[in-house]
Amino acid sequence: MSDEAELYRRAYERERDARKAAEQVVEDTTRELYLKNQKLEESLKQLKDQQRVLVQNEKLAMLGTLAAGIAHEINNPMAFVHANLESLADYLDPYQELVEKQAQALDLPYDQQAAAKEAIAKHIKQADLEFFQEELPDLMSDTREGLERVREIIGNLRTFARTHTQERRSADLVSGIQSTLKLLNSQFRTEVIIQQSLQPLPLVHCNLSELNQVFLNLLVNAGHAVEGRKGATIGIATRADEEKVHIEISDNGCEMSEAVKEQIFVPFFTTKPVGKGTGMGMSIAYGIISDHGGEIEVESQEGVGTKFTITLPIQG
Amino acid sequence: MKGVVFNILEDMVTEQGGLLMWQKVLDKVGVDGGYTAVATYGDDELFSIVGAVIDELGVPAEEVIGAFGTYMFGQLARRYPVFVDSCDDFFSFLESIDSVIHLEVRKLMTETQLPSIKCTRIGDAQLLMDYSSPRKLCLLAEGLIYGAADHYGNRIKIEHPVCMHKGADHCDLQVSLVNE
Repeated sequence: MSDEAELYRRAYERERDARKAAEQVVEDTTRELYLKNQKLEESLKQLKDQQRVLVQNEKLAMLGTLAAGIAHEINNPMAFVHANLESLADYLDPYQELVEKQAQALDLPYDQQAAAKEAIAKHIKQADLEFFQEELPDLMSDTREGLERVREIIGNLRTFARTHTQERRSADLVSGIQSTLKLLNSQFRTEVIIQQSLQPLPLVHCNLSELNQVFLNLLVNAGHAVEGRKGATIGIATRADEEKVHIEISDNGCEMSEAVKEQIFVPFFTTKPVGKGTGMGMSIAYGIISDHGGEIEVESQEGVGTKFTITLPIQG
Repeated sequence: MKGVVFNILEDMVTEQGGLLMWQKVLDKVGVDGGYTAVATYGDDELFSIVGAVIDELGVPAEEVIGAFGTYMFGQLARRYPVFVDSCDDFFSFLESIDSVIHLEVRKLMTETQLPSIKCTRIGDAQLLMDYSSPRKLCLLAEGLIYGAADHYGNRIKIEHPVCMHKGADHCDLQVSLVNE
């Protein structure tokens, strides 16, 4: 072999060894990456599990808010329905006695009937049956009205939680907003003015139960923002254009700082005191709206308040 | 097929027939022959190269493939000593192919297609290997097993009563230790 060929052979072997060394580095790095990736996947799974728990907690917290509101709403009518039924029960015995006395009087010979009539009149006076007779129609209509209100609340609750599945169907968002507002009635009551400007919307292909959760969340937050404020007002408006529907929920409460606005949809971010908010409500709302192909935006101005605008495609 | 297999084939051919022979083989197949261990190349390319090597050497295919397997084991053991070092004896090594080696290969190469290898011990001196692979490289596997036996200082005999090349869906490789 010539000297030059020998040099080439050595160069070839040198390069081959260098390539093997480089391949070894690639393999070692790949193995490290694989192991790191495995660890990351484990961490991701843990995080997802934790997030699932937090989302569940947020849902439970909302459910708690709702349950308290509904309990209050149902409690009032139930209280007077109960009181009315008690009154009815009190008058039941004297009424039965009256009916018996009259039946007996009818069977008496003519000469004894005058005395029986007197006894009946005395019974009516003693038991205050005339007053009861006057009150009875009101008692009945109040009771009916109370039960009607309970029925309405249950109806609203049904609209609110119509679907628990992931299924989407055409739904009327205005009726969803209205039922959500009614469920929150007890929370707002007199100290908050609710300004509704609800234009009819075309049916939107959506999961209404999920969207109601978003409305509930925004309305509850608005309620917190205006708490204790004079002239506290929450506005809710709807409008539609050809392809989209727009829902605005505004309040004249404390405005948000830029920093808060930037982080409002970030999971775990909360301005509420420790132990009060889960910090998941707005990020869940954001997730639900995004899933529907929509957008949620926030504007906040000092001295004016905060406005959330939800835009959703009609076709979903 | 993994580039490392091409590299080892190149090493064997250049060791035994010189650079000239390897270049002739590459020219005959019509490939440039730049292979890196960490990449994957077409099976057909390897088979064409092996075919050309067989032609060049003028020895029966089974012999070349078996010899390549034996040579390949030595090279792999040098590159990846941890796999042979972690097994005390020959049969334990064969048993670790599926559970340890292939697992490690998958870490490095996600798109890899590995043969299925199941080992069953039959007594102290015999092991049945159930081999199946769409590539049907049972002869290469035999060569590798011979190479492994050499490494652990065992003399063996391999019988191959069931074979994918004879229409079976897998190969039975009966590996028996032979007393010196």
